[in-house]
Amino acid sequence: MSCELKLKERIGTINPIFTCQPAGAQYASIGIKDCIGIVHGGQGCVMFVRLLISQHLKESFEIASSSVHEDGAVFGALNRVEEAVDVLLMRYPHVKVIPIITTCSTEVIGDDVDGVVTKLEEELLQVKYPDREVHLIPIHTPSFVGSMVSGYDVAVRDFVKYFAKKDKPSFKINLITGWVNPGDVTELKSLLAAMEIEANVLFEIESFDSPLMPDKSAVSHGSTTIEDLISTADAQGTIALNRYEGGKAAKFLEKRWDVPAIIGPTPIGIRNTDTFLQNLKTMTGKPIPDSLVRERGIAIDAITDLTHMFLADKKVAIFGNPDLVIGLAEFCLDLEMKPVLLLLGDENAEYENDPRIKALQEGVDFDMEIIANADLWELEDRIKNKGLELDLILGHSKGRFVAIDNMIPMVRVGFPTYDRAGLYRYPVVGYKGATWLAEQMANALFTDMEYKKNKEWILNVW
Amino acid sequence: MTRKVAIYGKGGIGKSTTTQNTAAALAHFHNKRVFIHGCDPKADSTRLILGGLPQETVMDTLRTQGAEKVTLDKVVKTGFHDIRCVESGGPEPGVGCAGRGVITAIDLMEANEAYTPDLDFIFFDVLGDVVCGGFAMPIRDGKAQEVYVVASGEMMAIYAANNICKGLVKYAKQSGVRLGGIICNSRKVDGEREFLEEFCAAIGTKMIHFVPRDNIVQKAEFNKKTVTEFDPAADQALEYRQLGLSIIENDNFVIPKPLTMDELEAMVVKYGMCD
Repeated sequence: MSCELKLKERIGTINPIFTCQPAGAQYASIGIKDCIGIVHGGQGCVMFVRLLISQHLKESFEIASSSVHEDGAVFGALNRVEEAVDVLLMRYPHVKVIPIITTCSTEVIGDDVDGVVTKLEEELLQVKYPDREVHLIPIHTPSFVGSMVSGYDVAVRDFVKYFAKKDKPSFKINLITGWVNPGDVTELKSLLAAMEIEANVLFEIESFDSPLMPDKSAVSHGSTTIEDLISTADAQGTIALNRYEGGKAAKFLEKRWDVPAIIGPTPIGIRNTDTFLQNLKTMTGKPIPDSLVRERGIAIDAITDLTHMFLADKKVAIFGNPDLVIGLAEFCLDLEMKPVLLLLGDENAEYENDPRIKALQEGVDFDMEIIANADLWELEDRIKNKGLELDLILGHSKGRFVAIDNMIPMVRVGFPTYDRAGLYRYPVVGYKGATWLAEQMANALFTDMEYKKNKEWILNVW
Repeated sequence: MTRKVAIYGKGGIGKSTTTQNTAAALAHFHNKRVFIHGCDPKADSTRLILGGLPQETVMDTLRTQGAEKVTLDKVVKTGFHDIRCVESGGPEPGVGCAGRGVITAIDLMEANEAYTPDLDFIFFDVLGDVVCGGFAMPIRDGKAQEVYVVASGEMMAIYAANNICKGLVKYAKQSGVRLGGIICNSRKVDGEREFLEEFCAAIGTKMIHFVPRDNIVQKAEFNKKTVTEFDPAADQALEYRQLGLSIIENDNFVIPKPLTMDELEAMVVKYGMCD
C-alpha cells in the first residue's frame, strides 16, 4: 500500500498531455470582455492554440499574432508588436484590452515587450487614439518555462496586477475559477446566486456556449469586465478554486491589497463542494440555503444508486491539469473507486507540498502512482507492457487512442475534449458536476459491459 | 532611492575592475550600500569584492537544481564593506544563449526580491557589446536608469562605446534609461584624454572621470582585492574615490547622439595622426 509521487524517468516526451505557457495565457485572455490578445511569436503559437480552443468549444473567436519571421528573430521583432497593436485597434473599434503574450522565440531574442508598451502608450495611443480607452498588458510566457497551466496562472495574475485598484470596500468576493468550461462557470454562478453572493468572476466564459442568432452573429467572447478586474482590490476576499490556475493572482491580491485569500479546494465531488460552500459562508457570513441542501441530496441520491453496485473497486487512471486530476481522484476515492494512476502533465516543485497530494499519500489503502512531468506513453506503456489493468480512464481527448486501442472505457474530462459533443456545456464542479461525473462514469462502464458482453444482463434488472 | 547603474564597454577594457573598484570606493569612502550584479557568463565581476571567493552562479544553480532552488542565501554573497554580489553566469562558450541567461538571472533576482530598497547603488556589470536583446536586459523598463561606458583612447574601445550608445538610444525612449558619462580607463595612448573628450562632446555626454593607469590595480588584483581594500591611502584609491563622488553628484543624464561611421573614422584619423 503506497502512494508515490515521482517524476517521469524517461528522457523526452511521447504524446504530451499539455501544451505550453502561451496557450494558458490565451485561454485566460478570451474570458475578458472587449479583449483580443496579441501573441508575440511565430504564427503557429496562435494558430494551433486557437484551433485547440476552437475544437474544444466549437466556437470561433479572435486572437492575433505578431507573426514573427526570420528577419524578426535576427533584428528584433518589436516593430511587429507596434504594427499589430495599431492594426488591431483600427480593425476592432470595441477592443480595450490587449494582452501581449510572449513566446519562446521572442523571449530568447530578448524583445523588450514592457518597454514597447511604454513607448506605445506615449506615442501611438496618445497621438492616434487619444480618446480611446486602451490597456496594453505584457504577459511573459516563454514556452520553455512551465506549461499551459502555469501560463494560465501567470496571465490571471498579470491581468489582476494591472487592473486591481482600491476604491471603496465592497461586499463582493473574487472567485477565480481556474481553467474550466462554460458549464462550470454557470454552475459556480448558480451556487453563488443561491447564497446571494455577488462576485467578480474570473473569468466568465459562459458565453462561449453561444447561440447562432437570426442576425447571423456567432462570435463568442468573455464577459469579465474591466470594472470587475479593477474592483478585485476592493473585494472582501478571494477564493481561487484551483491552486495552480489562479493561485498566484489570489496571493498577489492578498499581499498587495490585503484581500484575504482562500486557495482551493477544487470543488469536484460532494466533499470538496461542501468545503467550497463552507468557505463562502465563512468569508461572507451568508448561510447555506435549503435549496443547496436539497441539491446536495439529489446528487447523493444519484451517486448512491451507482457507487456500491457499479463504481466500487473500479481501477481508474486520470490525466490532465493537476487541480482537475487531484479533484477527480478525491471524488473517485469517495465513490469507493481506485484511482491507481494519476498523470500530471508538467513538473512543479509545489506538487510535493500540496496538502491534497499529501493526504492521498497518507490515506490510500491500495497502490497509487502519481507521475509528474508525465506524458501519455506513461499510461500506454503501463497498459501494454507492464500489466496495468484499468476499468476506466478519465482525461482529455488527446488520450482517446490509448483508450480505443486498449478497449478501455474513457470519460472525457478536462481540456481539450473535442471528440465528444457538447461536453463544455456540463459542469464537473459543484453538486451538479458530481452527479454528472458519476453518471458519465457509470454510463461509460455500462456501454463497455454491453460491447464486451460482460454481465450486461445486470442492467436489465437494475 | 536606489540608483541602478549599468556599466558597459568593450571586452577587456576593465569594466569589472572599474565596477568593483568604484563600488568599493562608494562603500568605503562614501558609506554607500552597494549591490553588484555580474552579467557576464565568465562570472568574474565580483572576485575582488569577495576576495577570490568562487561564487556559485545563478545559472549554475538553475542548471543543477532548478529555478525553484535559486534562493538568495545560495547565490548572493557578501564581501568587502558588506557589498552584496551575485553572478548570473551562463553557458560554456559556444553553446546555448548567454543573453537569455542574463534575462533569466535578473528575473530570478527580482522574483526573490534581491534588490532591496535600502540599497544606494546597484551595479549591473555587463559583458562587452550589447550584442543581443539579452545583454540589453539591464537597461530595460524599471531596471538600470543610468549607464556608464568604460572606454580608453584606443580606436576599438571608442567604436564599441559608440555602438553601445546606439543600443542605448533604442531603449532610451521606452525605458527612460540615460547615459551618465564615459569613464576613461587609461591605456596611456597618445592624446587619449583629448580624443575621448572630443568623442564625449560629439555624442553629447562628458567624461565623468579619467582613471590613470597604475600598476597598483593589477597588484591589488593579484591579491584578490580592490585598490581601496588593498591600500586605501594609495593615489589610485583616491582616483576611485573621486570617480565615486562624480557618480554620486552626477546630474548630467542624456540620450546620446552616436556618431556615423564616417564621423567616427574622421575623428580616428585626426588623433591617429598625432605622431
